[in-house]
Amino acid sequence: MSSMSSWARRILALLAAAGTWQLLTATDAVLWLRFDRLPTLGEIAAELLQQVTTPIYYLDLLQSVIRILTGFALAAAAGITVGILIARSPKASDLLTPLLEAVRPIPAIALVPIAILLFPQDEQGIVFITCAAAFFPIMVSTRHAVRALPTLWEDAVRTMGGGRLHVLRNVILPGALPGVFGGLSVGMGVAWICVISAEMISGDFGVGYRTWHAYTIVDYPAVIVGMITIGALGWLASAAIELTGRRTTRWLPRAEGSSA
Amino acid sequence: MSLSFRLDGVRLGYGHGAVLDGIDLDVAPGELLAVVGSSGSGKSTLLRALAGLLQPYQGKILADGEEVRGTSPDRAMIFQEDGLLPWRTVRRNVELPLRIRRKPLDVSAWIERVGLAGREDRLPRELSGGQRQRVQLARALVGGPRAVLMDEPFGALDAQTRADMQRLLLDVLRDTAATVVFVTHDVDEALLLGDRVAVLGRGGIKTVLTSATRERILEEL
Ligand SMILES: Nc1ncnc2c1ncn2[C@@H]1O[C@H](COP(=O)(O)OP(=O)(O)O)[C@@H](O)[C@H]1O
Ligand SMILES: [Mg+2]
Repeated sequence: MSSMSSWARRILALLAAAGTWQLLTATDAVLWLRFDRLPTLGEIAAELLQQVTTPIYYLDLLQSVIRILTGFALAAAAGITVGILIARSPKASDLLTPLLEAVRPIPAIALVPIAILLFPQDEQGIVFITCAAAFFPIMVSTRHAVRALPTLWEDAVRTMGGGRLHVLRNVILPGALPGVFGGLSVGMGVAWICVISAEMISGDFGVGYRTWHAYTIVDYPAVIVGMITIGALGWLASAAIELTGRRTTRWLPRAEGSSA
Repeated sequence: MSLSFRLDGVRLGYGHGAVLDGIDLDVAPGELLAVVGSSGSGKSTLLRALAGLLQPYQGKILADGEEVRGTSPDRAMIFQEDGLLPWRTVRRNVELPLRIRRKPLDVSAWIERVGLAGREDRLPRELSGGQRQRVQLARALVGGPRAVLMDEPFGALDAQTRADMQRLLLDVLRDTAATVVFVTHDVDEALLLGDRVAVLGRGGIKTVLTSATRERILEEL
């Protein structure tokens, strides 16, 4: 309704937060929290402008993006396949569910030591951790979405003479898609957390590595620039999934006029 | 071209006890048999068995003398509501049976026949309840089935739309030779549409009436 004043409020809140930061860091405030070692907005901006002109910034970006895309793609393929298998086949469910439920409570980042031991290179270990993190939310929401499908659509396709593959392609995959995208969205979130954490622990490149490295060499403006980069990339990845999801599930009933 | 059905001592259920038992029924080629029964009497169960979606515990279901062992495009089915795939447009819903059988996708004539010309690219959610059932009708008939099984297809429609749909159905069926088994809980609908009316009561078929009247059916229900 009052969208103008709503926007004004939002911008005001952001400006207030930035202003507070500037005030605390510029005055080197030491309350209970210590702001004296944190960079001011000016220092951060200068660092950011400097970094975006260097190739290393983009190499790090590229490295992290390749890792997350590889891990996420593997997780999506495996998660959707396993989710459908478990939902549709009691035999597959008996075989896979106990194993998966045993592994699921372990946070993917706790797999780092195993990953280091298991894979010949750090690179593969980081992708493995990313993949393991994203796999579970994708698998679980796929399984749930497939189980929740009404039998009516499957019956319809079968009475047309359709076999299992027709049911898979024309009912299960499209019908489960909204739920699957929910899982992909959550999966991308945790994958991003894990790729950054894994890079901080073991890696010679990547945004996570670079951010932690900046901290160890006491380059605090660079730490903040790393954080901003991580946040921006994470937001971009989530937005991409959200957008794809909305485009491929236009058929869903939506409240009239709702856009967000 | 039209299919005949014969049910011989058929017992149907879902794992715990029988829903229907001792069903003996003949459906002649080309006839429209209305099956009337109250909610929960097993109408859908019977229809699913005719479609081959449900195997009988006992007895035999024959279509043209051959035992029904699974689904077949010869026996098309129309569901009460939401039988359309919501992510496919009108055209793509009607095309689906042809796609599955790798036949040419000539659907325009059927879409026009059911009065939906110009709405081919709509999604099911953009149609009224009556229009959705028109799409189901086109989708069921587009492949030239030899029998059509209809599960309370107009049960969720308002009286006026229902009357329109009943007229459309009778009209359209005149051009096809398909045998029809039409399930309904509405006695008047059964009387209007059925060449014969089978009355489904507790556990089985009570009677099959050749010249049914309202009173006779209500007596049996
Ligand atoms: N998939 C199912 N599993 C177990 N019981 C079912 C199933 N479908 C229907 N039933 C039972 O079978 C009986 C008949 O159901 P149904 O054939 O759907 O009746 P109608 O179509 O006449 O309303 C009901 O008691 C119902 O609870
Ligand atoms: Mg029913």
